[in-house]
Formats: sequence, structure tokens, C-alpha cells
Amino acid sequence: MDTTIKQSLKEIVGEENFTDSLIDLIAYSRDSSEHGHRPDAALWPANTEQISAIMKLANLQKFPIVPRGAGTSLAGLAVPEQGGIILDLGRMDKIIDVNIKDRLVVVQPGVVYADLDRALAPYGFFFPPDPASGAVCTLGGNVATNAGGIKGAKYGTTKDYVLALEVVLPDGRILHTGSKCMKSVSGYDLTKLLVGSEGTLGVVTEITFKINPKPPLISTAMATFETMEDAGRAVNQIMYSGILPSALEVVDQQTLIAINQNTDLGLPEVEALLVAETDGYTKDETEFQMEKIIEIFNKNNAGSVKHADEKEMAEALWTARKSSYGVLARINNNLIVEDLAVPISKVPDMLQAISDIARKHDVKMPTVGHAGDGNLHPVICFDGTDPQEVKRVEEASTELFEKVIELGGTLTGEHGIGLAKIPFMGLEHDEISMDIMRSIKRLFDPNNILNPGKMGLEE
Amino acid sequence: MEGKYEFEKKFRDQVLRCSSCGFCRAVCPVFGLTKRPAFNARGKMLILKEVMDGNIELGDELIETLFQCTTCASCSEQCPSGVQPPEIIKQVRKDMVHRGTCHPAFEGMNQILQEHTNIYAEDEPEDFERERNKKAEYVFFIGCVGSYREDEATMATLDILDHLRADYALIDEVCCSGALEDVGFEINERLAEKNVELILGTGAKAVITGCPYCSRTFNNRPQYQELKDAGMEIIHISEFLKDFDFGVSTDKVVTYHDPCDLGQHCGIYEEPRETIRKIAPNFVEMRNNRANALCCGAGGGVRGAFAKNSIAMARRRLEEVEEVDAEVVLTECNSCVHNLNNARLRAQKFKIFTTTQFLNQLLKEAE
Repeated sequence: MDTTIKQSLKEIVGEENFTDSLIDLIAYSRDSSEHGHRPDAALWPANTEQISAIMKLANLQKFPIVPRGAGTSLAGLAVPEQGGIILDLGRMDKIIDVNIKDRLVVVQPGVVYADLDRALAPYGFFFPPDPASGAVCTLGGNVATNAGGIKGAKYGTTKDYVLALEVVLPDGRILHTGSKCMKSVSGYDLTKLLVGSEGTLGVVTEITFKINPKPPLISTAMATFETMEDAGRAVNQIMYSGILPSALEVVDQQTLIAINQNTDLGLPEVEALLVAETDGYTKDETEFQMEKIIEIFNKNNAGSVKHADEKEMAEALWTARKSSYGVLARINNNLIVEDLAVPISKVPDMLQAISDIARKHDVKMPTVGHAGDGNLHPVICFDGTDPQEVKRVEEASTELFEKVIELGGTLTGEHGIGLAKIPFMGLEHDEISMDIMRSIKRLFDPNNILNPGKMGLEE
Repeated sequence: MEGKYEFEKKFRDQVLRCSSCGFCRAVCPVFGLTKRPAFNARGKMLILKEVMDGNIELGDELIETLFQCTTCASCSEQCPSGVQPPEIIKQVRKDMVHRGTCHPAFEGMNQILQEHTNIYAEDEPEDFERERNKKAEYVFFIGCVGSYREDEATMATLDILDHLRADYALIDEVCCSGALEDVGFEINERLAEKNVELILGTGAKAVITGCPYCSRTFNNRPQYQELKDAGMEIIHISEFLKDFDFGVSTDKVVTYHDPCDLGQHCGIYEEPRETIRKIAPNFVEMRNNRANALCCGAGGGVRGAFAKNSIAMARRRLEEVEEVDAEVVLTECNSCVHNLNNARLRAQKFKIFTTTQFLNQLLKEAE
């Protein structure tokens, strides 16, 4: 990159907020996916005006800008695939306003999910999506990926909470979308268009979120199922029983075996284990819901059913689900946390297909997931230094996503397309849909400077 | 695959196993302060992967990150993949020193311990008004910080031992030199031999250390194996004190800072709390405590090499003291006390002591 451009960038953000040191270029070359590419430099901007000036320069000189939060993307969203400048928004981390009367918060993009949660707790409120990386991921990143989490079935995902955005466009103009009202149908919904746009349309510099009161009580139950079919039927019946669990998670047999091989937890190696949680304001309320769920578990031949009606007792029931990532992450050198979603009724079919595909390609693909909303995470554990195994993983992935689409599912429930899912975009989106997406990209970013190379938008 | 550096031989699998999830961002004190991903454990592992791939050398431009780690091991605690970054980083530092790449402050520390008996190059030890090198049941080993920087805390500990009528001896101790292992060098054999000889000379059955790091060094380093072979128990003062009742207490709101060397590295979380709860019924925990405690910023050579960031890290820890409105912060490591006190702002009215120092005050007030 031209030294005069670097000099101009230093003038915008200040010398100390510019870096092209080797250590930073390497640290910014990757996110939590298997993709990597070094940027030419990185910036720590302090405010919207600086970002606007940076974008103007980038648009004029035509160099890529890649916005970045905590870099926890599992699909390569934050990797500077074509070099350019990393815009690290992590230092724009102020909670600007906690407005309980209007039930909203205004935050900068670098606020960490857990910090917002902590700030809301004293008021009895929360921002529900609850991504697994909540201790570190930033809210700007949540917006860019439309992050979901464990509470999706009842509380939805990030998009259900974004009321308004301040966004710097690729030409440097500052766009304000949405409103602070709970309801608004005023004009095109630019807010929803930007949520989940993976940093390809604009740089989010301020977010207004709707927040929810947090029900103080929970009830938890865990059940084992000898067959996936029984577990799947149970999930289905729960989801149309009229009860809306605050979490309904599935752990498959491969995961249970992996946990047992690597810990002394001694879990039952059944085909599926389900964990359900209900929440509410009174014990009667949480238990009324949970009794129905347990009834459905039993009706579907659950082996052992364990029930904890208090928060303190629930921990043990979550052990299998919550220890899964830690165990799977240790199995081999490389780890791809896949992400797909199918209609709720297709969860058992999808789990069966995952198991078959893994066996066929001799690949380890233990699976956990948010059964209640049809979002599953096959976790591919492999050795990236073994080219044969890498090839098998690629073949298995292709077959996996073909099956997802066949079942009426979608390529990603909450991780995004990024770089990882580009090869599969054509499976889900036809030419018309791709054409409209590309037109939108051109409208916002005619010079293709913002997070280029992502989402399969380049022809 | 055989690497060119020792760290590759020992830790290649671990470095590869880092899945770059970034969960270490939540706990790394250096990252928390700087918000610079290159300083986080994930950043360091990515850099080491590039070294292993032969893309870059362990050169000078890596000093700023690889030598800026307090080795607090909070990241190890958090890591879903079971990677232990401080162990890797300590070996990497040795590899760097081996090829002539080192931070001058670390080099200075090794140099000082070649020529002197302690990390401060002070040749006149504090007297502490106790007979040295006598026969006794216990040896009380003070450590450098307690001897030369936090001597009041040491005096208080000795007063407590006297109050308990413990039969102990001080020795003409020299630096345990364990910290050299953290900053790219090896334990100084000459110093270790002298300590071993003096400790054994007292005929004691146990060593009580004032410094958690010294206790770790004596317990884990082969240079001090002779102590264990002689059947000696090595404990930190907090482990010794937990069995006593002191009959004094305070109404003040007291909190406790877990030193990394005692907590993360030795798993000693409850013993200090047992003692503190006895003397301070109004005990409160800080937001980050036990295995999640936030490091004071002094360890791993960071105080010497990156002083400004070290103090700023301590300030972040003290913000957590303010959150719980504590009037007194107790800890079990002189180095933590030293760094936290240096970082305390005038507007922050709470006091920072070692537990023994505070306990001794209460005993004196009760007299």
C-alpha cells in the first residue's frame, strides 16, 4: 500500500491508532474460521467522523476496508481476503444510553455482548440473543452477522432487536436508519437490510437495540433417547404443543462418545440427548411449562429424565451440552463449527443425514444444536495437515449442504456466509436472488471497497 | 515435524490446537487494557503458527507481544482447546534469547542476578531484627519484593509468626531466581545452591514463603529438588495461617485479590479466604475472582519491561475494587501489593495490604 495513503490514514486517526506492524498484520489475518489473509494495515478509529473520512479516502483510492469486532466469526467474515485496511471497532466500546423507560439501549459497535448484559442486569432487563461467544463478541459483530444463540426459539436473533442504526456508507456519507419507536413501517426497512449484511454495505457505528425484561426463574430438564427418531418427534411435539421453551438443545451420539473419551463424565451414549429450559416469573409458570415438556419426553420413550426446578441445580444437566465445544476443540488440530438450519420438523432427518454423511466420508462430525429452532452445528474435527482428510472434509461439506437444501433448509442459521459458504450460495439462491443481492451491493458500494470477496457477491 | 526452535518440539500440537476462537480476549489483562489483538493469546498463537510455517523469524519485531505477557494463565483457564499459552510463551522467550532476541529489561534482570543476590541489585539486605541461619522448625523465606520493596509487609508477617510462637529462622537468602525461567533464561544455579544449603542448614521441617512465586519455584524446579528429597514441605504463608484463630476482627468491607502465582498456578483460592473471613465478616468478592481473577499486571517480567502498561493493568483491577465499595484490599503476594499500591489513585480511599499486614494491624489495635 502506497505510503501517502498510509500517511493520510495516520492523519485521520492519529499515528498511535494506525499500525502496519508485522504482529498486528498477523493477528488481523484470521478470525475463528479456517480462512486467512493479511491486511496491509489496521486502524483503531475513535468515532464516526474518523470512519467517514477513512471511507472517503478508501472510495477515492479504491482500497478495501474490512470492519472487525472481536474476530470470532466462524465463516471468515472478518478476514481481509483482498488485503486492505482492517477497521478494528473494538475501541468504540461505550454504552451510550440505557433507556429503560423506552425499553432500549444505544451502544457503540465495540461493546462486548457480556458487558451489555452486565449493564442491563441491575434493571432486570437483557438483550436475549445470547451467542456462545458472548463473553468476547462485540455487538457490532452481532449486527453484522445477525448473530443468534441458544434462546432463538423463544426470543429470536439479533435482527429482532435492532431498532435503529448509524452507518457510514462506502462513500463516507452517514446514514441513519430506523427509529427509536417500537413500531415503525416508515419507508424501506434499511435496518433489516443492514443487519446480517456482513460488513459489505456499510460500517455500523451506533446501534439502538430493543431490550427485554428478563424472567427471573427457570426450570431445566434433560432427557436421553435411544433413537434419534424419538428425540426428533419429542422436539417437534414440544414446539407445537403451545409451550415455548427458552432453550431446547440437542447433543448427538458422536458428541457424547467424544465427551466420554476425553472426560470422566460418563454420559449415556444414546443416540440423542435433549436439554430443555423454560423461563417465567413464578415457579408455577416455569413448572407448568416444564411438566408439559417432560410429559412429551416420556411419551416419546425417553430413557432417563432429570429435572431441576432451580437455577443452581440446572448446571449438572447442561454439562453435556456446555462441555461439548471444549471437548471437540481438543480432538484434532482443526475445527470447523458448521452452521445450518432446517425447518423444525426436519431436525431428525437432518441429524440422521449428518451421521450418514460422516460415516460415508470417514469424517468426524459430532453435532450439537438448537433443536428448538432447527439450527444445527455439526462440528468437523480434522487434521488440516493431512491433505487426504481435508479432501474428505470438503466432500462431506458439499454433500451436507446439498442435503440441507433438499430438506428445505438454509446454508446458515447464525454464522453467515462470509468466505466459508460461498461455494454453496448457488444451491440456495437462484440467479434472480443473486442478481438482486449484487445490485444492492453495487448501489451501496459501487467500487466494491467494503469487505470485498464475501457472500459470493463477486461475479 | 521437527521444528528449528525448541518451542516447536515441545508445543507444536498445542499451538496448532488453538482454534482461534478468541475466548481469551475476555480475560487477558494485556488485551483488556490495550484492546490490541496482537497482544492476546490468540494473536500470539497465530504469530507462532507463522513461525512454525517458516513465514517469519523469532525476530525483534515480535518482542513487543511475546515479551508482553504477565503469564497469569487466565487464558489457559478460559481456553476451550486446552492450550496453555504461558508455558508456550516461556519456551518461546528462551528460544528468542537463544538467537539473541530479547527485551533489554529481561536481559538486565538476568545480568543483575549474575552479579548480585537479588533482582534489585541491592547489596544491603534489610535486617528485620531477627537472628538468621539458626536451627528452627521452619524457615521463613521472604523473597526479593518482601525484602527490598515491601519490607513493612514482611515485618508484619514476622510479627504474626512471633505472635503464634512459631519456631522459625530467617536465612541469608538470595533470589530464588525462578522468575528467570519466565523471561527467557534459566534458574541461576549458584543462587539456587546457596538457598538449598542455607535452608537445609537450619534443620527445619518446612519452608514457609512470603512470596507465592518462591513457593512455586521450590516446589516445582529441579534445582530445588533436594529440599523435597529431604522431606521438606514448602508452603505459602497463607496455607500456614489458615489453621489459626486470631480473636480479632474488623467491620470494614474487605475484598481479596487472587495473585496468579498462588491461585492460577497453585490452585490456592480458599485458604486465604478462610483466614480473611475469620477476621473480616464483611467480606466481598470482586467481579473477577478465583480462577477468573484479573491479573495485577506485574508478572512475567511485564512490570520491568512495560512499566506503563503494567501500572495501567493494576488500575483496571482497582476499578473492580471500587465496584464493590471495599475499604480494604487484601492479597497474598508482595508483588501484587507493590503494583496495586503504585497504581492506586489519590481519590481511591481504600487500603491495600497483604493479609498478614492487615491482621497484624488488627492485633496491634486489640492490644
